Amino acid sequence: MRTRPFQQVDVFTATPYLGNPLAVVLDGEGLGTEAMQQFTNWTNLSEATFVLPPTPEGRAAGADYRVRIFCPGRELPFAGHPTLGTCHAWLQAGNTPRAAGRIVQECGVGLVPLRQDGERLAFAAPPLIKSGPLAEEDVQRIARGLGVARADILHHAWCDNGPNWRGVLLRSAEQVLGLKPDAAVLAGLDVGVVGPRGKVGVAGASDAEGIAFEVRAFFPGNNGLAEDPVTGSLNAALAQWLIGAGLAPARYVASQGTALGRAGRVHVAQDGAQIWIGGDSVTCMAGEVRL
Amino acid sequence: MHARPFQQIDVFSHRPGDGNPLAVVMEAGDLGAAEMQRFAAWTNLSETTFLLPPTEAGRAGGADYRVRIFTPGGELPFAGHPTLGTCHAWLHAGHRPREAGAIVQECGLGLVRIRQQGGTLAFAAPPLRRSAPNPALLALVTGALGLRPQQILAAQLLDNGPRWLGLLLGDAPTVLGLQPDHARLKDLGQAVGVVHVAPTAGDTQSPGVTVRAFAAPMGNPEDPVTGSLNASLAQWLIAEGLAPRQYLVAQGECLGRAGRVHISQDDDGQVWVGGQAVTCIEGRALL
Repeated sequence: MRTRPFQQVDVFTATPYLGNPLAVVLDGEGLGTEAMQQFTNWTNLSEATFVLPPTPEGRAAGADYRVRIFCPGRELPFAGHPTLGTCHAWLQAGNTPRAAGRIVQECGVGLVPLRQDGERLAFAAPPLIKSGPLAEEDVQRIARGLGVARADILHHAWCDNGPNWRGVLLRSAEQVLGLKPDAAVLAGLDVGVVGPRGKVGVAGASDAEGIAFEVRAFFPGNNGLAEDPVTGSLNAALAQWLIGAGLAPARYVASQGTALGRAGRVHVAQDGAQIWIGGDSVTCMAGEVRL
Repeated sequence: MHARPFQQIDVFSHRPGDGNPLAVVMEAGDLGAAEMQRFAAWTNLSETTFLLPPTEAGRAGGADYRVRIFTPGGELPFAGHPTLGTCHAWLHAGHRPREAGAIVQECGLGLVRIRQQGGTLAFAAPPLRRSAPNPALLALVTGALGLRPQQILAAQLLDNGPRWLGLLLGDAPTVLGLQPDHARLKDLGQAVGVVHVAPTAGDTQSPGVTVRAFAAPMGNPEDPVTGSLNASLAQWLIAEGLAPRQYLVAQGECLGRAGRVHISQDDDGQVWVGGQAVTCIEGRALL
């Protein structure tokens, strides 16, 4: 056990404490899987990450750093907010990528490219594992669980890019923010809900703040239904679905976490066939951890 | 907003990761309640505390420091593990009490005395109100824990601020094997503390008492190590002759922790709840 550089970063916000927190141990060398998992559980955050030097193969393929991502109970091959937060912490610590403005992260799924645009970072959305409409019985169950009429679900789709999200588009952001989900009905489902903030009936229109959609993410937590403040994977999959279906423009900003007192901002941009998921990050705590 | 000294402490443990974590923001005198609450929600820890200078009245009463204690959802007048963790952080930062070995903490409840003995800090258990539980509630909780009524040797409603239903069971494996229906406990609105006292509990070299804390109604299905519950359980069990006047508790095993709570009753009848604490993260927080 020794002291290691540590940061706790707020992701998908430029204002401290309005985003999704992430614990980053900047020197994870010599730590075993069990020690990483135990520290992650202890932080009580949705994710903690451990930065390592790239593997020889990773370095040969251009990786700037390697990261291992843990949530309480298990290791994840990839996750969105930990990718942005880890990259931010790595840059804050004084590291520079081999190619200016482009960082390559090595993690469980392989190499993930990141783009740097000023203070904002974006990752390339991973391909969908499962897409297409949900089964009608799932849609009816989700409507019941969200407490809305079946007719209020205007569109729906599988949004599975690792996390098994089921996505539903409601009539308005107000409806999304007013949801009081029923944990018993939604038990076992990862449900992503999205509603337009712009003019209703105009696909992808933005409101006065430039925000096109309000998003909420519900998943089974250890005390019943939980809500994630700001979710990279869900927003990546929603963007692929909504842009692909002509329900959103090629660039937009989504808001998430409003119902939890946060103000997450997810910046989506399609560039050729690739969709990039971006956000600001801010280091809220910096110091050392004994680990 | 500026960088303030910050520590994240593991409480009721001497090895980082084995106890119950606490975030402590120092030099927080100018922070408002809304800023404190927002930070406490963001850390997502069961408690986050903020160190301030004592009030004039507190200083006159002997207070060494003042603390405000927040959960992700609200402010608490007092709590056990935040008291020990905050006191540890204050000492770790180089402060010394007016009287060696005896620290006085000012918090919402008033002044709380803390004893320092070697590497262990202990707080004086606040007064306890206790009563026999309603038999109907007891039966429902027994069912939610998957227990039969005859497995419960004694039961008591305990209230020292936080309210717990204390259940004394006959063997440790039953305590450690419980898989409660947390949704049911949440519906019942009842936090439950389960305890077993080994016949050898008076020998404090190794833990003779096993505790688990189920708090689904407070949004926490199982708490790793719980100061308030251990204070209440000790006052009840010692008064009824169900536990010796001094014992060592193990809590958190089912969550992969190894919390240790030191209980002792002094000659004046005051129960002290103690433990070790260790600073795991040290640096600055932007607040």
